[in-house]
Amino acid sequence: MAQTQLAILLTSVALVVIGLYAAIFVDNIIKKIIGISFIEEGANLFIVAIGYKAGGVVPILMPGMDTSWFASNAAYPLPFGLVLTSIVIGASTLAVMLALVMVLYRRYGTLSTKVMLADTSKQEEYNE
Amino acid sequence: MNELIPLMVIVPLIAALLISAFSKFNKVTKIFAFVVAICLPLIPLLSNYGLHYFGGYEPILDNVTSFVYHPAITYSFTFLQQIFIAMIGLLTFLVIFVYLTKYKEVSGPYLFLLFLGTAAVTAMLLTDDIFHMFVFFEILALAQVGIVAASSIDYSYEMALKYMILGSIGSPIMLLGIGFLLALTGSVNVTDIATAVHNGLVDATSPVFLTSLGLIFFGWLYASGLPPFHTIKSGIYSKAEPHGAALLQSFTVISMISIVLIMHRIYSTLPIFEVLIVFFSILAMILGVSMALTQTDFRRMIGFLAVGELGFIGLGIGLGTNYAITAGLFQALNEIIITALLFIGFGAIVNATNEVDTRKLGGLLAYHPKVSLMLLIAGLAMAGVPPLSGFQSKLMLVQASLNCGFPEISILAIMVSIATFVVFVKTFYVMFLRPKPKELEVEGKEVPRAMIFAMGILLILVIGLGLFPDVVVNGISSFVGGIL
Repeated sequence: MAQTQLAILLTSVALVVIGLYAAIFVDNIIKKIIGISFIEEGANLFIVAIGYKAGGVVPILMPGMDTSWFASNAAYPLPFGLVLTSIVIGASTLAVMLALVMVLYRRYGTLSTKVMLADTSKQEEYNE
Repeated sequence: MNELIPLMVIVPLIAALLISAFSKFNKVTKIFAFVVAICLPLIPLLSNYGLHYFGGYEPILDNVTSFVYHPAITYSFTFLQQIFIAMIGLLTFLVIFVYLTKYKEVSGPYLFLLFLGTAAVTAMLLTDDIFHMFVFFEILALAQVGIVAASSIDYSYEMALKYMILGSIGSPIMLLGIGFLLALTGSVNVTDIATAVHNGLVDATSPVFLTSLGLIFFGWLYASGLPPFHTIKSGIYSKAEPHGAALLQSFTVISMISIVLIMHRIYSTLPIFEVLIVFFSILAMILGVSMALTQTDFRRMIGFLAVGELGFIGLGIGLGTNYAITAGLFQALNEIIITALLFIGFGAIVNATNEVDTRKLGGLLAYHPKVSLMLLIAGLAMAGVPPLSGFQSKLMLVQASLNCGFPEISILAIMVSIATFVVFVKTFYVMFLRPKPKELEVEGKEVPRAMIFAMGILLILVIGLGLFPDVVVNGISSFVGGIL
């Protein structure tokens, strides 16, 4: 495993761990969502690392390129394609989460999950 | 006519986009949504079984390894996909029919979400590509959150955000698991991955492979609403409109079986895989029914009962024999129908009384006899009373666990069924048989005919599959024989 690839993998692990900590233990909803984004980007970075090839070339076959040389030197393109899709999905979920947070912030006037996401059944009993 | 296979996904997807774009034309939107919804169950029934290779890229034989590789996304259409996609199509039609007749002005975005969810689960069932499955799993999560948030029920936004946060943790973890499989095999095609595992190209005992199982399994627990996600899953059912909840629970069942069948093909060589599935399924059965016992909101009660029923599905698949998996998949089909019937039926009661608290209801049998009778039959079917469909699948599951040498599991399954019966009979008595509370106003409030129609269709299926289970069991058994 190349040093660069190892560094990328370790970074992705760090992103996932930090993200999990924020998503589970931090009370502020915006920080929680940032943590969730960290987990997503950690997973994406991990997949990018799989396709990395030390000293490799961009996986686009140009005119005049020797195909056997290209096959043995090009980076693996599939992970990059997957990550592109994953980024788009991540952006969509992020947008929906932030939209819901905006609505709830207007209702509760706070970003604390302890207040806005308290057990809804208890909230109903309290209102009754 | 294999060209029809991708149309099962494309038609609801295009319909969703068009409805969203042209929703200001109310009458046209209604007619268009109705026509597309009628087509949804028909397309799988008209299509031939087979494979569809996107872009026309057929499998390639590698002369060095003598293995066949799939260079593009592949859709596989067999009897199992046919029966489940037709059922989802029928349910989508019934839900949209109920929705269109309920409101004069329809919401384009809401119809968009219903069609989008249907397209997503259809793609999850058809695909032979684990990343493609993940993409539609994410799209499905967005549609589910939208359906909950779009309801006018109190605290629906809070529940939607909770579900979204948990989903946003569960999905990247599943993606990491897919990344591990990609690193091991260089492919995201399930057939290619399974071939590599079963031919020894991948060490099935390696930590990387086992980690991938753990990560994908976590994502599956979230998708299925099995413990520890059972409370949030039942919560989203209770915060959606009743007809929306009917569709949401079917989405859960389909995503559960789609992911577990893919996992089964990849990880069936690991004994721990089946142990994990059986363990979490039993946990779901016990927690689902015991939490349902304590509920006073009947929407939440059905939600917990639905979670308990998911445990039965997982149990069948976890036992791993042909008969057990067939029983589990048959149970999945029955759960989709029975739970949808319950949600729509109780939705009719909400419509007539504006009340969801069983403590404030009573005497409804005299006012709504048709709905009462249909709900009674649905509840008995869920509890496994003969000769209804739930009885047939639960009997198969009990026999399967006995055949596998686990009489304890059989006894547990029977006890959970009895507990389900108790929950339902208690609720039925409180809502329909005991004297009506004075403060409850039900005079002059009719149940919409569309709801009665939808319940009638589902009831025919419950009784039909109970009397003639072989119509689907033989086909499912052949499919299971193919994957084992």
